[in-house]
Amino acid sequence: MKIDRRSFLSLGIGVAAGTALSPLPWKLTDDLSIWTQNWPWTPVPEIGETSHVNSVCTLCPGGCGISVRKIEGRGVKIEGMTGHPVNQGGICALGLSGLQLLYGPTRIKTPLRRIGKRGEDRWEKISWEQAISEIAEKLDVLRTSGNSHTIAGIAGSRQGTVSQLFKRFLTAYGSPNFFHTPSCVDTYQLAFQYMNGVSGAPGFDLENADVILSFGSGLLDGWGSPVRMFKANTAWRKANAHVIQIEPRLSRTAAKADRWIAINPGTEAALALGVSHVLIKELLFDKEFVDSHTDGFESFVTSKGEMKKGFRQTVLENYSPETVARITGIDPSAIILLAREFAKAKAPLALCGKGQGIIPGSLAEAMAVHALNALVGSVNRKGGVFPMPETEIQVWHEVAMDSVAAVGINQTNLIGAPPNSPCGTNQIPAAILSGKGYPLNALFVLESNPLYTMADSKTVRDAFDKIPFLVSLSSFMDETARYADIVLPNHIYLERIEDAPAPTGFPKPVISLSKPVFKPQFNTKHAGDTLILLAKEMGGAVADAFPWDNFEACLEEVMGDKMKTLQEKGFWVDSDAAIPDWKAAFKTPSGKFQFSPAEATLGFVPVAIEGDSTFPLLLIPYETMRMAGGYIANPPFMTKTVEDTILKLNDSFIEINPKTAQSNQLSEGDFVVVQTSRGQARGRVHLEEGIMPGVIALPRGLGHTAYDGYIANKGINANQLIGPVQDPVSGLDAAWGIRAKLSKA
Amino acid sequence: MKQEHGGNGTRKYGMVIDLDLCTGCGSCMVACMAENNVPFREDETDKLKSITWMRVYKLTNGKPYPETDICYLPRPCQHCEGSHGHSPCVSVCPATATDYDSQTGIVSQIYTRCFGCRYCMAACPYHARYFNWYDPIWPEGMEKYLNPNVSPRMRGVVEKCSFCFHRYQAAKDKAYLDGQKEIEEDAYQTACTQACPAGAITFGDLDNPDHAVHKLKKQPGAFRLLERLGTNTKVYYVSSREWVRRAGDNYLKTEGPKKVV
Amino acid sequence: MDSALIPNGVRRCSLGKFLVPLAVVGAVLLWGVYAMLLCWFKGLNQTNMNDNYGFALWIWADLAVIALGGGAFFTGFLKYLIGKDELKHIINYAVLIGFICYSSALLILAIDIGQPLRGWFIFWHANVHSMLTEVAFCLSCYFMVLTIEYIPLILENRQIDKVPFFHHLSHNMHGTMAVFAATGAFLSFFHQGSLGGVAGVLFGRPFAYREGLFIWPWTFFLFTWSAAAYGPCFTLLVTRITEAVTGKKLVKDNVVELLAKISGWMMTTYIIAKIIDTLYWANVTAPSKGFNLIDFYSNNGFYGIWILVMEIILGGIVPAAILITDKGRKSPVVRTVAFVLAVIGVSVNRWVMVLQVMAVPVMPFDQWALYYPSWQEVATTILPVAYGIILIMISYRYLPIFPQEAELNPAE
Ligand SMILES: Nc1nc2c(c(=O)[nH]1)N[C@H]1C(S)=C(S)[C@@H](COP(=O)(O)OP(=O)(O)OC[C@H]3O[C@@H](n4cnc5c(=O)[nH]c(N)nc54)[C@H](O)[C@@H]3O)O[C@H]1N2
Ligand SMILES: Nc1nc2c(c(=O)[nH]1)N[C@H]1C(S)=C(S)[C@@H](COP(=O)(O)OP(=O)(O)OC[C@H]3O[C@@H](n4cnc5c(=O)[nH]c(N)nc54)[C@H](O)[C@@H]3O)O[C@H]1N2
Ligand code: SF4
Ligand code: SF4
Ligand code: SF4
Ligand code: SF4
Ligand code: SF4
Ligand SMILES: [Mo]
Repeated sequence: MKIDRRSFLSLGIGVAAGTALSPLPWKLTDDLSIWTQNWPWTPVPEIGETSHVNSVCTLCPGGCGISVRKIEGRGVKIEGMTGHPVNQGGICALGLSGLQLLYGPTRIKTPLRRIGKRGEDRWEKISWEQAISEIAEKLDVLRTSGNSHTIAGIAGSRQGTVSQLFKRFLTAYGSPNFFHTPSCVDTYQLAFQYMNGVSGAPGFDLENADVILSFGSGLLDGWGSPVRMFKANTAWRKANAHVIQIEPRLSRTAAKADRWIAINPGTEAALALGVSHVLIKELLFDKEFVDSHTDGFESFVTSKGEMKKGFRQTVLENYSPETVARITGIDPSAIILLAREFAKAKAPLALCGKGQGIIPGSLAEAMAVHALNALVGSVNRKGGVFPMPETEIQVWHEVAMDSVAAVGINQTNLIGAPPNSPCGTNQIPAAILSGKGYPLNALFVLESNPLYTMADSKTVRDAFDKIPFLVSLSSFMDETARYADIVLPNHIYLERIEDAPAPTGFPKPVISLSKPVFKPQFNTKHAGDTLILLAKEMGGAVADAFPWDNFEACLEEVMGDKMKTLQEKGFWVDSDAAIPDWKAAFKTPSGKFQFSPAEATLGFVPVAIEGDSTFPLLLIPYETMRMAGGYIANPPFMTKTVEDTILKLNDSFIEINPKTAQSNQLSEGDFVVVQTSRGQARGRVHLEEGIMPGVIALPRGLGHTAYDGYIANKGINANQLIGPVQDPVSGLDAAWGIRAKLSKA
Repeated sequence: MKQEHGGNGTRKYGMVIDLDLCTGCGSCMVACMAENNVPFREDETDKLKSITWMRVYKLTNGKPYPETDICYLPRPCQHCEGSHGHSPCVSVCPATATDYDSQTGIVSQIYTRCFGCRYCMAACPYHARYFNWYDPIWPEGMEKYLNPNVSPRMRGVVEKCSFCFHRYQAAKDKAYLDGQKEIEEDAYQTACTQACPAGAITFGDLDNPDHAVHKLKKQPGAFRLLERLGTNTKVYYVSSREWVRRAGDNYLKTEGPKKVV
Repeated sequence: MDSALIPNGVRRCSLGKFLVPLAVVGAVLLWGVYAMLLCWFKGLNQTNMNDNYGFALWIWADLAVIALGGGAFFTGFLKYLIGKDELKHIINYAVLIGFICYSSALLILAIDIGQPLRGWFIFWHANVHSMLTEVAFCLSCYFMVLTIEYIPLILENRQIDKVPFFHHLSHNMHGTMAVFAATGAFLSFFHQGSLGGVAGVLFGRPFAYREGLFIWPWTFFLFTWSAAAYGPCFTLLVTRITEAVTGKKLVKDNVVELLAKISGWMMTTYIIAKIIDTLYWANVTAPSKGFNLIDFYSNNGFYGIWILVMEIILGGIVPAAILITDKGRKSPVVRTVAFVLAVIGVSVNRWVMVLQVMAVPVMPFDQWALYYPSWQEVATTILPVAYGIILIMISYRYLPIFPQEAELNPAE
């Protein structure tokens, strides 16, 4: 057949029509659409049997009970555990993000030894045996050369069995240098010691208070046990309790409070004394309590025969509303009204500890606030504050020290304080750099990230550069781990057994048990086991102090008969615990509450904030529930909840009042350099009415340089801009801010 | 009274969110992301491209320091009923990829049906709908936590809050197996409700007098977002503050929200 | 070289002179195709659209192009149904422009949707309540009609016409064209209208929402009306441009003036209706939802009240006034100005009704959403323009588009 143009065209049309009528194109179209519904790169989660495992969250000191939903071996969701005494089923954003930490890319998968320069992030994988023997060898050399005291440990937690085991290791080895990250509990403990004569952390019976006067505590910003506080807040709303928040910035807590009183930062103690003044002057205080259970209210003659002014006279002479108004910037009439409202309440309660309470803070302030509570009788009663009795839980047998240890442990510690004074952590960098004491030869860091969380990051790094051997027992490639010589990766909380102690401020003795909900994902080890292995490797008396096969055996011994309850219920709570009677409550020489302790005088003692007049502004770091600011860095879910007025692309926003912005010729979103005596950083400004003119603020939790692309190099690390400031009374860190200036970038 | 909900087995699930209790903590947002396999990317600071089925807005009263006030407002999909189930988004979807379920009052979203025209997003005044501009990618290992009861979405489709519909299905199945006619109030609760540490969110059948929401929605100070548009939403808000209630809708100068006594 | 393909009795430039601009426009087209492929393979993250601003530049182009392509159906309607026979001298070009506009519109839709391979779900799982469903059906059907209207034109090419089959086919198709024109007009009425309905039914968006008649909001009728009114202006404008580029008169003035006059009167009635609609919306609909008119026009510069002035006065009243007056219409310069203003006017209308809708916040605590297109969007939006130019160039060169060309430009 001859193919002419006509038959060619007909054929073409025929084929086209035939194809169109055949199922082929339709099938193809359908298959293509089905393919788009099952793209191979879109994961299909496996189904399986569902189970729930209860444990406890230790991502912050909140200690919430959690229930982990599992499908076969994998975890798909973390929820709050109903019936847990602390969080009663609630959970925070960080706790909900836990699985992102478990499975996330920043986990350290195996022991590592540094091969590049420090911080360069070049590693070789080593076995656990290698790592342990290498460290033991180094330690052995130091020990035999009489330098056992020149090693130190920084723990992320003050208590808990792992922390105690860490301290025990240092003791048996012969080092007085056990430190932990500080907190406002440190300061409260001192106030209790002086005024109650009792040691112990504060228990705040907040749920039973009806007027809550918070001197800057971030009650809804992660203070104490965050979830407990949310529950308390809801209870207050329902019971018509009144919350009054005193701080220079409209924080989440201030926004939710019934009243926000803006105060000049750093003058809270003066306000507490001013309120006391009104209470005393107007005879609104609890006379019966003051008369029968307190001492030092009236002026008295000391044993040395000197006249000492009592609380009443001190306050009446020096803290009139007018005087206090000048200091705090609050109207005298507002101070008077505040005092009257506080006095009228059935169960008034005042408290302090700025933000999440991660800085010890001013002792004078803690004492002034504690005195205010005493004045209205809210000490040691329902709805009040009391020192928590020590729960005798941990039964440790004494460390039998060999001669090396006995010598080492009796040296002063790094910062020149008595052995194991834990709270001078903030002074370590200065001590190292000053070269005054002995040099530090090795530092062990357990579940903390000082290179990021400690103030004045640059100085911290300079100090660390002087330490020849740095070991991190972190689970994550954080700033400190990345700077280490050897990393011994820890199981994360979902993979290990551990006791979680009572959270800050919780008024009942409680212990929870963290359980291995999952098999370890990687070649990691429980830090407790690592310490035991290391001790055994060292041999001799050090090994003898660690007779347990593993951490679990140690924990069982330490917890004793509580272990059974912990295993069964997941927590142990001393339901018989009662508020101590007066005799147990006050163990001062007079057996009463002491308004005028010998150790420290009540009064407004300002904490000198760093920086001179060339820095016209005040920079305050703040904490927020949408960002983890401590050892744990923000998981992706949480970062996603951060507003775009806090972080945009990789730039932090510095919060500033529009008035301040105007006088600095700045407008919304402008790029600026914020500068302090400690450092500078580039960011942008966000104008916000809710901040005092002259004050600027930065959130904690940004500006990481390690971890992964989900958190690294985003925004400013506020800690790099501030420096530690010692409280003039206690010597503890009290840096609530620093002077700063802004210039257009 | 029982007839209101009982007879034909239809329910009208909804929420009452107490803005006086909400602290803006973000638990609800994260609980929702974790429950519903919401994807995330390295940079999530462009909030106009960041998928958050539950989004907590920060409202301010606009007054200068120190009269400033803030209120947090959690915004899931409002599951608008419109009139007779013609919610703004459902009525416009050309492919019936989103639907109003008359049994539950829940506005569904079928990801495999949606072809990504985004008309529904234009229709929704609450910005409750999110488009998958990117392929969802979980960093290596993290796909392990994905919940098999909620399918991960693919690039190019719209997604939104489902009132955790998979939990409804599970509760319904369980009720059936247990031989129960009714789904108990606590048998079906959304992930955000469950997580909220402040107890600010209450969820249940708005028409069922035995459910807490039935009464809570009638509280003084209760209001709905953009009530005047006729979207007929099933998420109620409660606030004791007048400026907050006013921020829930648009008013001319001479008008205002109803007064609370 | 290609002289065998060129219609009888007309002159065309040399092939070389033809190919150079074709190559230039072709390069632009390729750039657009590259952007289009990026959107398909990498997804719509290549655009600057976002969750608040989910329709953007090219959707506006889509709507504008459909409105402007309305010249095809309305001219067809006038010629075949009303019997304005003079318009046969411009109907070919109107059809061609319409074909370009509608094929472009469909292409844009295929790029715009997040799941192009599932685009057909709109037909398979159709929701009868959705204006977009109506749009999809009518648009596709009308595109088929336009194709049917365009085919006989292709068949009239000198070489194709030599094949008896095509010759007869073309002849017969011409014979039945009135039926298609009627179908087209009917379909156009609906899809132009349902495009208007797309925004008008959004009762969650008080800026767009217009109450209406039965299931249709007023924008339904306004869109159809405006497409009929403004579409011919675009046909005339493109004709004028083609004349300028080719340096030839292609359509006689009486034809142009007739279409311009009809367009002018359509525009006049339309703009009156539009003003009434605007007044009702501003004074009744919007306030009932708690909005003052000015709330919709922020002070962000871009979405100022100037838009309303531009659309209604500059792009509506002025060109209408020019075209309904003899003097205005008869002056080639003045009427061209009117065409330009009209095209701008209807384009602004489409922008406002679709894009400004996205920008205006509805919740009081919400923000204005602003948007600027990414280069991929710009390229993809220019793609159909390049494609249109190429199709016009080729069609003009090889097809007898302008029946009066030979008469108006006698060969020496
Ligand atoms: N919602 C919520 N609540 C949280 C968290 C959260 O992520 N979200 N984080 C929780 C976590 S992980 C923790 S650890 C706690 C905080 O509890 P902390 O136990 O106090 O721990 P860090 O935040 O690690 O560090 C303490 C802070 O003290 C200071 N600091 C530490 N060491 C030094 C030092 O040597 N010198 C000076 N000058 N300062 C020092 C630094 O400013 C640092 O920011 O808050 C918890 N609360
Ligand atoms: N497994 C694990 N545990 C962790 C973390 C982790 O990631 N994993 N995170 C850690 C981090 S980063 C931090 S900062 C810590 C902080 O954890 P902790 O230091 O444990 O918590 P704090 O809130 O500082 O203090 C909690 C309680 O300790 C008690 N307390 C304080 N001082 C004393 C005392 O002298 N004696 C007695 N008996 N009790 C006292 C009080 O009851 C107080 O309420 O949490 C840590 N806990
Ligand atoms: S408050 Fe702390 S302990 Fe509780 S869930 Fe959140 S991170 Fe975990
Ligand atoms: S979880 Fe509850 S308190 Fe927190 S933001 Fe959500 S609704 Fe508000
Ligand atoms: S809130 Fe938006 S997405 Fe949800 S039902 Fe209403 S219109 Fe639809
Ligand atoms: S984007 Fe999907 S759900 Fe939304 S209207 Fe289009 S097809 Fe329907
Ligand atoms: S109801 Fe479920 S899907 Fe909706 S916001 Fe809450 S958790 Fe997310
Ligand atoms: Mo921490």
